[in-house]
Amino acid sequence: MNKARRNLAHSIAAHTLLLSYTILALFPVFVILINSFKTRKAIFRHPLTPPNPDSFSLVGYETVLKQGDFFHYFQNSMIVTVVSLFFILLFGAMAAFALAEYRFRGNVWMGLYLALGIMIPIRIGTVAILQMMVASGLVNTLTALILVYTAQGLPLAVFILTEFMKQVSDDLKNAGRIDGLSEYAIFFRLALPLVRPAMATVAVFNMIPIWNDLWFPLILAPSEATKTLTLGSQVFIGQFVTNWNAVLAALSLAIIPVLALYVIFSRQLIRGITAGAVK
Amino acid sequence: MTALRLKNISKSFGPVEVLKNIDLTVEDGEFVVFVGPSGCGKSTLLRVIAGLEDASAGLVEIGGVDVTLTPPAKRGIAMVFQTYALYPHLTVRGNMALGLKQARRPKEIIEKRLKEASRMLSLEPYLDRRPSELSGGQRQRVAIGRAIMREPKLFLFDEPLSNLDAALRMNTRVEIAALHRNLAASMIYVTHDQTEAMTLADRIVVMRDGIVEQVGAPMDLYNNPDNQFVAGFLGAPSMNFINAGQHGFEQAAVLGIRPEHLKISDTGPLQGHVTHVERLGADTNVLVKLNTDEMLTLRLFGQYDFEIDAPIRLGYAMKDAFLFDENGHRVK
Amino acid sequence: MLWAAWFAQGIHGGNMQTTVRKQRFKWHIVVFLAPAVLVYSAIMIFPMIDTLRLSLFTQEGSKEVYVGLKNFQTLFHDPNWSGQFWNALGNNVWFFIIHMLVQNPIGIMLAAILSVPTLRFAAAYRTVVIVPTILSFVIVGFAWKLILSPLWGIAPGILDAIGLKSWFHPWLGKEEYALTTLALISVWQFIGIPMMLIYAALLSIPQEILEAAECDGITGFSAFWKVKLPLILPSIGIISILTFVGNFNSFDLIYVAQGPVAGPNYSTDILGTFMYRTFFGYQLQLGDQNLGAAIASVMFAIILVGVCIYLFTVQRRLRRYQF
Repeated sequence: MNKARRNLAHSIAAHTLLLSYTILALFPVFVILINSFKTRKAIFRHPLTPPNPDSFSLVGYETVLKQGDFFHYFQNSMIVTVVSLFFILLFGAMAAFALAEYRFRGNVWMGLYLALGIMIPIRIGTVAILQMMVASGLVNTLTALILVYTAQGLPLAVFILTEFMKQVSDDLKNAGRIDGLSEYAIFFRLALPLVRPAMATVAVFNMIPIWNDLWFPLILAPSEATKTLTLGSQVFIGQFVTNWNAVLAALSLAIIPVLALYVIFSRQLIRGITAGAVK
Repeated sequence: MTALRLKNISKSFGPVEVLKNIDLTVEDGEFVVFVGPSGCGKSTLLRVIAGLEDASAGLVEIGGVDVTLTPPAKRGIAMVFQTYALYPHLTVRGNMALGLKQARRPKEIIEKRLKEASRMLSLEPYLDRRPSELSGGQRQRVAIGRAIMREPKLFLFDEPLSNLDAALRMNTRVEIAALHRNLAASMIYVTHDQTEAMTLADRIVVMRDGIVEQVGAPMDLYNNPDNQFVAGFLGAPSMNFINAGQHGFEQAAVLGIRPEHLKISDTGPLQGHVTHVERLGADTNVLVKLNTDEMLTLRLFGQYDFEIDAPIRLGYAMKDAFLFDENGHRVK
Repeated sequence: MLWAAWFAQGIHGGNMQTTVRKQRFKWHIVVFLAPAVLVYSAIMIFPMIDTLRLSLFTQEGSKEVYVGLKNFQTLFHDPNWSGQFWNALGNNVWFFIIHMLVQNPIGIMLAAILSVPTLRFAAAYRTVVIVPTILSFVIVGFAWKLILSPLWGIAPGILDAIGLKSWFHPWLGKEEYALTTLALISVWQFIGIPMMLIYAALLSIPQEILEAAECDGITGFSAFWKVKLPLILPSIGIISILTFVGNFNSFDLIYVAQGPVAGPNYSTDILGTFMYRTFFGYQLQLGDQNLGAAIASVMFAIILVGVCIYLFTVQRRLRRYQF
């Protein structure tokens, strides 16, 4: 066999494997989405065909929007995710700047202390966290979730951002000092804009686990007013197990925002993972 | 008035002492160059002067005022960095004006100085560009412009030419020299390049291992080095060092002769053979292996041909022989 | 604020030499560090330590009573608890083994294929493989539950189409299959992560090394085995420890798919669900936060031991190469 033909065989094999995996990866999402727009009968008779004029139905979505307060859940998820990300990035970048920029006693130990949480999951402390939230009256508030997610996201954020802060040119910071910028101005006006790409990576890394978390909403904020989209859809589906239209519609409503966010940020996410791993 | 006075400056990072009891005075309008091999402490000393690094001990005075504890922006200095350190998110105009804006100087003054500085450095066409849209040489000029804007009592240059290519380096060197003449400002310039040191400086400070080895006008240092390190550091190709005892100088350990002071002479005391010839066009460097197994470089002006392995005899004038003791101190 | 006081000694000037005058205290370092350190210490470190403490106590009425290691004894030996505990631990180990055996090899294989420089549509494939990873456990759990459900008939239908109808079982409903099925669903969800990390490691191998290997006649599969694989071993170490930590901390997928009782008949119970049940109680059983804390402590110990083994043995032996 000559080289060109062997290469062709190789590339066919590669594409076959990748395509099968692609189908496997997308199949469940596809099945849920198409069936959510079909009548109950069509869902069971022809689960794998897309909706057509005969089988098209929005009855599932009607039930969901009538019975569950999905818009409200979505809003809660949005608030928790965005505010947590804001604090993770702000506090994380500040600490990273201090660790990267200043020599002080205990610098290395402080870095290690903050890095501890990368490997040890925060869930281990759930019992005490719940006690603490009960004692401070924060149970069933979004604040409780925001606090927990901020603490959870900080270790990795500090770790990644410290690496990037170290790359900010010393000459540049010194030029700022000579121009009379305070240390705070150097951080906000010189260092932060330069590590923006790294901040985006950290944001995307943290966004997904926060948005998708079920554990802490379930334990710390299960009330109707504070349910996140993840918990809300879980509870809703649990109640409507037998109403397949409603279940499929609820799943689709949970998938769509994540998928939309992913389409927007996928390049950032992939670049973040690949850049982080090179280190 | 003195532009800068350093008294007993020491600096250590943990157990490592990088500056040891440095005393130095820079007069008004003087151009002083710190030169030395990498790691000699010259950049650290500059950063101590700028206030970017606190000295472990000692006193820094700028323009007669003790600034040891003054933050950099209030010391009346300006600094030009090796990597230019331009603010990437600001235009050339913004870069140059930031320091004065931060000090809340009136707009008219900022505009006036911006005009002068950009004219002096031919930066007018680029004022609204960002650093990423400029070439290396242009960025360097913006960095210098930013320093000029501050009208400092003292300019500090930290290896400003080392990121430029050879041709641009020569041009910028001339520009800095012209700038010094026009502004009549006091300048301190750090470099490891002895050509820059020799061509720019009123006075050179040669440093090694955190110590000032010698201070003086370029030609003084060249013609009259205090020790073997300074003798060897200045001049290219560098001074030849051979065993003094073997060549008739019992009172010293090392005999130093500059390559250009060696002459071909049938009666010369140094006998050997040619091992390599470098022809540079305007001059020719000949590497000679002496019969004592020592290597010498001979510099001849003009173009010459030598056979490799051809025998050669070299002589030198007594006034060109530098003698050093075993500690490297000059013996006169 | 102990740490602040401690730093205060070190933040002046940052060196030990005697300076004649007192240098300014660098408040900005404290300001920069304080928010992160406070939130992290208060919400993460303190509760973790407090959980370890709680595992040594029990509730009598409204009083906390110190009982030493009695909670752990209950967990390991009390017939009411130990059966569940060892079952959950064993299931968790199996859950982890499946991930190591399926997720990581497939992830490495996909990454190897994707990193071939001449492959077309690599970016599209890369994007798609991550999709399951971004979905929440709720979506993943229910979606697969529906697909595998005998009621809906998608899975049996597909198997029927390829003539394997007899292979179908209600996998999630049978004790002998349920845990493995859930582990495979979890693999399906998370495979993008090892794949991307290995992919990145493969991309960082300089082209010159591969070309040198090609000159030595090492190409194709042997280039992968003999050149690339040894160079990406550190990344394989990292994905292994990430998988370990993630698996011994799992909860959501099983809770969503099988409920807090982790049925059928506890066959899918892992430490996370066991802890949740113990902590909050279920059906007739009352919640016991101290016993829950004891389970959390066991999880903590397992993860800590795993991480230490990784840091002190595996990571040290795997040589990192500077390119």
